[in-house]
Amino acid sequence: MEGRPTEDAALVERSRNGDQDAYAELVTRYQAIAARTAYVITGTAADAEDVAQDAFVKAYYALDRFRPGAPFRPWLLRIVANEAINRRKAAGRRPTVGLSVVEDRASGDTALSPEASALARERRELVLDALRQMREEDRLVITYRYFFDLSEIEMADALGVARGTVKSRLSRAMARLRAVMEGGQLHGA
Amino acid sequence: MAREPMREQELEATLTDLGERLAYPQPTRLAAAVRARLNEPRPRHWWEAVRSPRYAFAPAVATLVLILVVSLAAMPAAADLFLRLRGIDIFRTTATPSVPAASPAVPFPGERVSLDQARARAPFLRAPADARLGAPDQVYIDQTQAGDRVTLVYVSRPAIPVSRDAGVSAVVVVFRAQIDESLFAKVGAAGTRIEEVTVNGGRGFWLEGTPHQFFYRDPAGNPSPETLRLAGNTLLWEQSGVTFRLEAQLARDDALHIATTFR
Repeated sequence: MEGRPTEDAALVERSRNGDQDAYAELVTRYQAIAARTAYVITGTAADAEDVAQDAFVKAYYALDRFRPGAPFRPWLLRIVANEAINRRKAAGRRPTVGLSVVEDRASGDTALSPEASALARERRELVLDALRQMREEDRLVITYRYFFDLSEIEMADALGVARGTVKSRLSRAMARLRAVMEGGQLHGA
Repeated sequence: MAREPMREQELEATLTDLGERLAYPQPTRLAAAVRARLNEPRPRHWWEAVRSPRYAFAPAVATLVLILVVSLAAMPAAADLFLRLRGIDIFRTTATPSVPAASPAVPFPGERVSLDQARARAPFLRAPADARLGAPDQVYIDQTQAGDRVTLVYVSRPAIPVSRDAGVSAVVVVFRAQIDESLFAKVGAAGTRIEEVTVNGGRGFWLEGTPHQFFYRDPAGNPSPETLRLAGNTLLWEQSGVTFRLEAQLARDDALHIATTFR
């Protein structure tokens, strides 16, 4: 899921000048991460694809505001995230969000004992359950850091904040994640 | 079942693990869907009656709304006239808005730069290459507004009378702005004529007469005045997402020819 800055710059410039083929190439490059970002916020695949599509359309119109040479991917993600969060708000925020995992994947766990496997699975459920209950903004920053492995600079761009703010945003989100998890454990006890 | 809270490392590892297992959608045809959306006709305004033909899509075009003020005495009970260049609406209104008195020649907006600097900062810029205009005497670039704008000023030229209001022979304005974010309303006096023309294969408008004021109209419909330029003929056209305006006391065909030389 690497961005490709130099090639992107040329595609962006062509897109700004109305080259739809160039923009189609950008869409193809970034549709996966756009859809994933939208999914983490909206919780359903259908909403995620709608959001991603809307975001790409808006991004095209907004290319005039895009600083030539700036990295495209985090700029795009900002638009996707805004779109997704707005959609959630417009739909009336439900307390939990869909979000599911594909649990029968064998990767990674084949080396674990059955007990360790079960523990890992249980932890995933715990964390996922807590994620579902969190604010979208917190889920987003955790996604960027742990699911997409974005650099701090890219996260700053994608969140629209100063680089120094990223760390505090992330630690607050993690603290809230823990709070939900530990609260959940009490209820589930 | 583990009940004690996870250590930080365990939590992070679980998060990473989770990230690899989420049931993400896997879109494969988004590019085609996006392209189809981009080529849909734009939403219509209520005053439209003429269907605009579909154009190849171009990003962020200023939406131009020209309001021609026609004196009530001269105006029969007229239907609204509108012409449609994609992104530009021109309509005539019977209402006479109270326009502020034309201000004296004001500085052109933006930072004074060379033509090369303007080209570097605004890659969309194209300038005329016609002998009647030659190189511009002054170039301004304004990047403070939502859309970048470059103004080329031709102070005095033998073939073109100097405008009394602006004190120059010709002005060329090249701009990109965001769709639906700025509307320009050009208020003209009675006798202003609008003609649809073809410029460089695309649609344009030739405005003849003495229009004397520009307004921006924001999406809420509030007009705000733009810096006054010339009071004279104007050729207006759009190409590849950029809007061009050539203001000079030129005959229509001369202006049309100059438009073909832009590069």
